[in-house]
Amino acid sequence: MASHSTASAVPAPAVSGRRKRPPSERGFLFTALAPPFFLLICFYVYPTVFNVENSLTDLSLFGLRDGGEWIGLENYVELMTSPDFRRVVWNTVVWLTVVGVSVRIVLGLALAFLLNSATLKRWRLSTISRILLIVPWATPPVVAIIVWRWLLDPRVGAVNAALISLGIIDQPIAFLATAGWVWPAVITIITWNTLPLVTLTFMASLQSLPHELIEAAEIDGASKWQVMRYVYIPHLKPAIVIMVLMSTFWTFNNFIYIWLTTGAGPGTYTNVMATEIYIKAFIEGRLGYSSAAGVVMATIMTIFGLIYLRVIAERELKEEGEA
Amino acid sequence: MTEKISRRQVVAGAAGLALAAPAVHAQQQVTITFRFNDPEAPQMRGALDEFERRNPDIKVTMQRVSWGDAQQQYLREAAVGSAPDVAQLAFVWPRAFGGARSLRPLDDYIQRDGARLGAGGWDGFFARDLAVGADNKVYAIPWTTDTFAMMYNKDLFAQAGITSFPTDWEALRAASQTIQQRTGKPGWAFPAGSCGTPAIWFFMNFYWWSKGPGLIDRGSDGRFLVSMTPQQIQEGFDYYNRYLQEGHNPRASLSICLWGAPEVVEGMLSGNIAMCSNPDTVAIEILDKWAQRNPGRPAPFATAPHPAGPNGSRTFFGGRMLGISPNSRFPEQAWKLIQYLVTPDPTFARFYTNYTPAQQAAITARAWAPEMSGYPAQLRTARSWGPYGTGPVAIPFMWNAVGRAAGSVFIGEKTAAQASQELHDAISRELARNQR
Repeated sequence: MASHSTASAVPAPAVSGRRKRPPSERGFLFTALAPPFFLLICFYVYPTVFNVENSLTDLSLFGLRDGGEWIGLENYVELMTSPDFRRVVWNTVVWLTVVGVSVRIVLGLALAFLLNSATLKRWRLSTISRILLIVPWATPPVVAIIVWRWLLDPRVGAVNAALISLGIIDQPIAFLATAGWVWPAVITIITWNTLPLVTLTFMASLQSLPHELIEAAEIDGASKWQVMRYVYIPHLKPAIVIMVLMSTFWTFNNFIYIWLTTGAGPGTYTNVMATEIYIKAFIEGRLGYSSAAGVVMATIMTIFGLIYLRVIAERELKEEGEA
Repeated sequence: MTEKISRRQVVAGAAGLALAAPAVHAQQQVTITFRFNDPEAPQMRGALDEFERRNPDIKVTMQRVSWGDAQQQYLREAAVGSAPDVAQLAFVWPRAFGGARSLRPLDDYIQRDGARLGAGGWDGFFARDLAVGADNKVYAIPWTTDTFAMMYNKDLFAQAGITSFPTDWEALRAASQTIQQRTGKPGWAFPAGSCGTPAIWFFMNFYWWSKGPGLIDRGSDGRFLVSMTPQQIQEGFDYYNRYLQEGHNPRASLSICLWGAPEVVEGMLSGNIAMCSNPDTVAIEILDKWAQRNPGRPAPFATAPHPAGPNGSRTFFGGRMLGISPNSRFPEQAWKLIQYLVTPDPTFARFYTNYTPAQQAAITARAWAPEMSGYPAQLRTARSWGPYGTGPVAIPFMWNAVGRAAGSVFIGEKTAAQASQELHDAISRELARNQR
């Protein structure tokens, strides 16, 4: 009898296995979730739908009041068949993202190991190095770009002056206007400004590595390379994956570094998707076409986003399993 | 029956009146916004202060936007009703802006006040055709006018043994090369960089126009077409590319995009550049800075028209216009400001002194310094943008496309033939799209 009454006091599980929420709890959840959902609809869903709608029209900057005429998939067909756009995608994916992110990750790892090394601590350079590392990160991109443009200037730039005085070159190089140099120069500027975050993330991960693990590996006769390969890298792997994905997001979308450094030039040599969208929309006035380019760009980013979410989900599942 | 008014009521009434007076005044005073994009902001603020002194019921807030962003910024604002009351516009914008219903038609104001406008009335204004929309309504008032001319360093020319300024394109290139060989200084170090509004667009057109047709023209059937062959386009690319290949325009010029860039101005002032091509405002800036830095020393500069081809020496009439946005709540006050700004005295006489009013009387009456004699000579042979402004391809589209095609040739990314063909195709496609 007692057991029967106890059983009746606890709500029986629903047939589907889900617990049925009382109406008051549902109301609270709805009230709590409504504002963010409303904001998401206003500032994300509506602009996205509006942009897709525009991409199917010939909307022009000179016809904003009248709106564009429906032209179906014409903008997308033009995009996909344009050799210029293929070049833009190549620049964005290969130069800006693959090369840019790779350089940042490799240098970030190297710097993290250096700043975490016993040698630096022994020389009491650890703290000052970390403070110096923060400086580029604290510099706003606009300021960083102006400073670097000045440094790389062929007439008065310190880099050319140094290279000439060292006898490495005899004529100044227009780093930001020469085909062979412009991409390395742009990657250098982006890396300088964004490297600290990557380095600090790897450093934090390194510092969470128990020292006993390294000692145990060394006692077992592991070489330095084997310690790196079997202890450090597996430990750093989650941080590396997250930084690769996050850096890819930040870099792929980037507009400011390219636009302020080279104006997408010389010619169209450094034109990437973000600058192409700006040029088509606000210089050539083709808002419909640039909206289509924006949709393509967003689609590529969505794929990256899904990969990112999958990685995060797998990690959480693994952690739950371990717990 | 007479009603007695208590002392308290009198005091309350007086206080009420005293409080209401500023409110009435505040209601009468309106604030309008003026979008001004040229570098002479302090001088223009002086002119606006004088306007406010003469019109105490109008306050003017000056807004600033770079020329590179001015067009798209204004069009976006006008579409949502937040454009400035009065805007400074490039010469070739009003037609397209009028078509986009982003400017207020000014015909009624001109009909009412046209006789008193500027130095000699509306009929005395220059480039009025560019202010008229496709619907024949007037959308802007021409404000200033200018053109490009060549400025050169006489001392460097003398050192190189060149006694007069070249009058044809090949002679100019030869002179540029000779200067470099004999003095070690660049000859014509024109900005060869790529950006949204590169200077090379102007230089390319000067070359093409002097040799033959422009990029686009209206055909006999009334439709617009690309009036140059890819080979004619290529000639221009090849011509300017030779300066870089032969080394008398250093490759460092590939990192300069704008005609009045500090590198150009300082290069002229320091004697490190022998020639440049600039609008008169930049030439005046160079002369002024020379006078400040070298008091009492005569400037070593002179100006001359660009080289001529079979069509003569051809540059363009450039300039600025003033328009009123359709969303202005105070169009009368905005019109009053325009009337004031286009009046030569005091605006041009005291404040905006580097600029020439776009009025026939003012142009003919302007006294040019001896060093500036190339500008009035160039103005005599300058042309209107013509089909560029009235055609269906927006000038910014061609500006960007020509600049980027030239940039691709200069860095060796594309051959001149390839870039010319692609440019021809791109403008043809844009024409076809906009003439559907």
